[in-house]
Amino acid sequence: MKEEISKVLETAKNEIEKASSVHELQQLKSRYIGKKSVLNSFMQKISTIPKEERPTFGNILNETKNQISELLLNKEQRIKELEYETTLKTESLDLTMPGRKREKGSLHPITKVWWEIEDIFISMGFEVAEGPDIEDEFHNFDALNTPPDHPARDLSDTFYIDNDVLLRTQTSTVQVRVMQKHKPPIKIISPGSCYRNEHDASHSPMFHQVEALVVDEGVTFTDLRDVLNIFIKKMFGEKIESRFRPHFFPFTEPSAEIDIICVKCYGKGCNLCKGSGWLEMGGAGMVDPNVFDILGIDSKKYTGYAFGLGIDRIAMLKYKIPDMRMLFENDIRFLKQF
Amino acid sequence: MNVSYKWLKKYVDFDLSPEELQVKITFAGIEVEAIEKLGEELNQVKVAKIIDKKKHPGSDHLSICHVDDGDVVKQVICGAPNCAVGQKIAFTPVGSRLGEFKIKKVKLRGEESYGMICSEKELGISDKHEGIMVLPDDAPIGQNLGSYLNLDDTSFELEITPNRPDLLGVYGVARDISAILNLPLKTPEVIIKECDEKIENNLILQNDAPDLCPRYTARMIKGITIKESPAWLKQCLISIGLRPINNVVDITNFVMMEFGHPLHAFDYNKIDGKKIIVRRAEKDEKFPALDEETYQLNENDLVIADAEKPIALAGIIGGENSHITEETSDIVIEAANFLYSSIRKTAGKLKITTDSSYRFERNIADETADLVSRRACQLILELAGGTLLKGKLDSYPNPTGKRLVSLRPSRVKSLLTINISNEKIKEYLKLLGLSFKGEEKDNLTFEMPSFRKDLEREIDLIEEIMRLHGYNNVKTFLKPQNIMDKKIFSAHRMVKNILVSYGFSEVINWNFGDPADLDKFEISEDDERRNNARLKNPLGTSFSIMRSMLIPDLFKNTLFNINHGQKNIKIFEQAKVYTRKNEKLATEKLHLSALMTGFLNPVYWGDNQRQINFFDLKGVVEEILDNLGLKNYDFKKSGEPFYQPGLATDVIYKKQIVGSLGKVDPKVTIKYDLEQPIFVIDIKLDDIFHLHKMETPVFKVIPKFPFILRDLSFIISKQHNYDDIISTIKGVNPGNIKKVVLFDEFTDKNIKKEFRSLTFSLVFSSDTKTLTDDYINNILQNVIKKLDSKYSIEMR
Repeated sequence: MKEEISKVLETAKNEIEKASSVHELQQLKSRYIGKKSVLNSFMQKISTIPKEERPTFGNILNETKNQISELLLNKEQRIKELEYETTLKTESLDLTMPGRKREKGSLHPITKVWWEIEDIFISMGFEVAEGPDIEDEFHNFDALNTPPDHPARDLSDTFYIDNDVLLRTQTSTVQVRVMQKHKPPIKIISPGSCYRNEHDASHSPMFHQVEALVVDEGVTFTDLRDVLNIFIKKMFGEKIESRFRPHFFPFTEPSAEIDIICVKCYGKGCNLCKGSGWLEMGGAGMVDPNVFDILGIDSKKYTGYAFGLGIDRIAMLKYKIPDMRMLFENDIRFLKQF
Repeated sequence: MNVSYKWLKKYVDFDLSPEELQVKITFAGIEVEAIEKLGEELNQVKVAKIIDKKKHPGSDHLSICHVDDGDVVKQVICGAPNCAVGQKIAFTPVGSRLGEFKIKKVKLRGEESYGMICSEKELGISDKHEGIMVLPDDAPIGQNLGSYLNLDDTSFELEITPNRPDLLGVYGVARDISAILNLPLKTPEVIIKECDEKIENNLILQNDAPDLCPRYTARMIKGITIKESPAWLKQCLISIGLRPINNVVDITNFVMMEFGHPLHAFDYNKIDGKKIIVRRAEKDEKFPALDEETYQLNENDLVIADAEKPIALAGIIGGENSHITEETSDIVIEAANFLYSSIRKTAGKLKITTDSSYRFERNIADETADLVSRRACQLILELAGGTLLKGKLDSYPNPTGKRLVSLRPSRVKSLLTINISNEKIKEYLKLLGLSFKGEEKDNLTFEMPSFRKDLEREIDLIEEIMRLHGYNNVKTFLKPQNIMDKKIFSAHRMVKNILVSYGFSEVINWNFGDPADLDKFEISEDDERRNNARLKNPLGTSFSIMRSMLIPDLFKNTLFNINHGQKNIKIFEQAKVYTRKNEKLATEKLHLSALMTGFLNPVYWGDNQRQINFFDLKGVVEEILDNLGLKNYDFKKSGEPFYQPGLATDVIYKKQIVGSLGKVDPKVTIKYDLEQPIFVIDIKLDDIFHLHKMETPVFKVIPKFPFILRDLSFIISKQHNYDDIISTIKGVNPGNIKKVVLFDEFTDKNIKKEFRSLTFSLVFSSDTKTLTDDYINNILQNVIKKLDSKYSIEMR
């Protein structure tokens, strides 16, 4: 029987050597050393040989099995190495072809600027307040110290829904609502849509504005200038200086208009700033004590400041958008630029 | 560091419970890390009297005693040679627990023992274990041992910050307590009587390393008697966790723990050449220390040596060759200061930490050396006898000068935002040991005490004032305004960001609307969207209302873009819609509307182009609702008039319609000259925020056991919908079927009409075990049975 076994080993050796895939090796494995293999059938014949020879026979059988199993493993290793090398040789691509990207959407440039404004003011301790677009005359005019005969109340300036109900012309209405509901200290901004009855190349009947209101003991004109100055520099860059010009608003006293150095020419004078080197940015001032009195806030104890800036205008300056109408045309080729 | 309640009370007469004291000092900057009641264990032990004693018949060294604890007489077997009839002893009855050791009734060689007569070591009082603890004759029988020995106390474990080495002694902590409570500090009176014999004639001091040893003092006492310390001294040491040893060693430990400045006592007769030399160690010099180790030193280590050998590793540990023993009669008291960084280096290198090294490493003051030296001498003379030689040896080449620090009261006030008087400032600082030196306009000058090296600048003094004033007594003014809802604020942005990530571009339209759009969208006359806020003076009829829907404007934007060559469009708008009926002003609600049309993805060489379908839309809606944290929302057939029937659903949340999505009816799109299929979403964001409180996600345990996937594929009648099928599958074993994912649907000519093939992937897992194949197969069979009985399916 020993010769038979060594013959099996010989054929196994040859066949393993010839095998060229892992699959073939698996077949060989079950043929030679698996449950129904040749070697196993010898094992079953063990009872037919004399007792004293059985251990030697068993050893030979095991030895052979181990040898075959090692041959199989070695061959498998070699086949895998070969496959790996083939993979390296054959797998290659035109790596200059375009990569796969998700189609990207975009936020409206007004939203981008809006969020940036909110974030700058939130970082300075402001909260964001909201109010309705459809307002009454009290919140839009009376409480803001605008007398009944003021020209701003005219139909040619303001959209009316009813005798007393209108589309807010400024988000200062939110200041009034906040002061009615909350005690000082108050430190808010209120971004939102506003409406004025005018429509031309530089005016949209709906536009976006952000108003700020700070009321506390000891709030000063310096605080107002500081906050605006920091905001403008964060928004437009360190180089952009600002200045205040005396002006009139019914609800602030003293009132000012804010100019910033032209973001295009940095003050040299260009077509954007019409040669002046400065751009008008918005209005500001210390809250008129009358406003506090109307709203029941102690005007002897508290002072405050307020200012308003145009979000759309900031977006146009920031992104160098030449025409206001583009903001509301919603051309995807425009929207995807930001 | 540990301090005890009773010890602290020696210096400040406060009227606070230990718990109250703990709060006071913690909030003055000395954090109490743990508080321990002492003596509780010893109160199980009784003072008792041995009333008779006879030899144990079965043993040579055991005796059978009877003890009377005032209550009962108990038989106790005792092995100590020193026990005798008539002694007052510490008796621990059965049932008590000393440390880990529980006292039980035992039988010793046939005789029963009902308790234990204890040694001091067994009681944890000292290391004495040669015999039982014998109490004085006047000890009252029956009293608890803890209270008899006055060991009832509270120990505080303090965290001393590295800037305050002055708090590394009980007296230092008491000084802060006196300042906190504004109570007088009782300083121990130190008076010493010297004899005529001069120390110079007995001992020479030579400081060869003044850079590492800024000060070294030595005093000498002759003719002392080493013995046990008196009870008060032992109590003090035990209360802070030290074991009493003998009077001289106990005194040096006591004084170190009192003033936080370590000292050391040498046996004078072991000092060769009668000379103390402070010097750097020689390379590889060996030093045999008290801890029975021998350390190998080098030139960076500082030693105290005599003429022949090192006798101490400076500031860290004494030498085995010179320490106090029972036979010692003449001693040298060292009180010195060493450069903290050098002590730290040597102790770190040799891995030795002692109470002494711990203190020297923290840069203590040179000046205290003389105080602790005199204090130790006073106590030794008192408790060990002997005579103190005249004078001291003192190497102090560069005495620390006076340190003055000025403070502006205006600065204190502005920083503290309190009104504090100059007198109050002076009072606080005086309590901490600073002396007031003068006042000019808005300027107070103080001299710093030597033990407060940490006080160097005005701001250091302000910190002290604040600490005593109480940080939490400083007023606060600001509160959040609570005007904005931060969660909703963030949610608005999140929704926009999700849409952008899905490829949508945001549009902004005027909020004016055209009433004709409502007709084109077939909005019925009684629909609330017909309750419009109308402008009295509009720009024109097409802008004559405030819009009550956003979708018509998205149609106009789409047409504009198609006319400009863009066929694949994904846009959204998030804006208010307005209605007005009986309200004074109007109802304004935030909506999100989105529109998709054309191909799903831009042209890509690796893909086939595919038209947008309903499920692309639905995925976006689900993504938004999931991200808002909504659970249990539902999709039901929509009744909106502008959708193509059968291709639109409403979104239901808490029984309310909070939105809709679907394919717009071609007969509507054609009115806007749009010819390609248009899909839209409309979500009532404000309604959702009204119904749904947004919550912060809370961590859920990640499953420990592996999950197993199985696929299930069958043919089923089209009349059964997915929602129904999936809940049937899950319902079979909700505990182990964690997820069911649909991954294929198809129909072909081999499948009967009105039927479809569905393939689901089931995820199995358990929270408590690894599932076996058999177990899962069993569940799977149940799923198939259930599906078959409910829908008559045909397995594939």
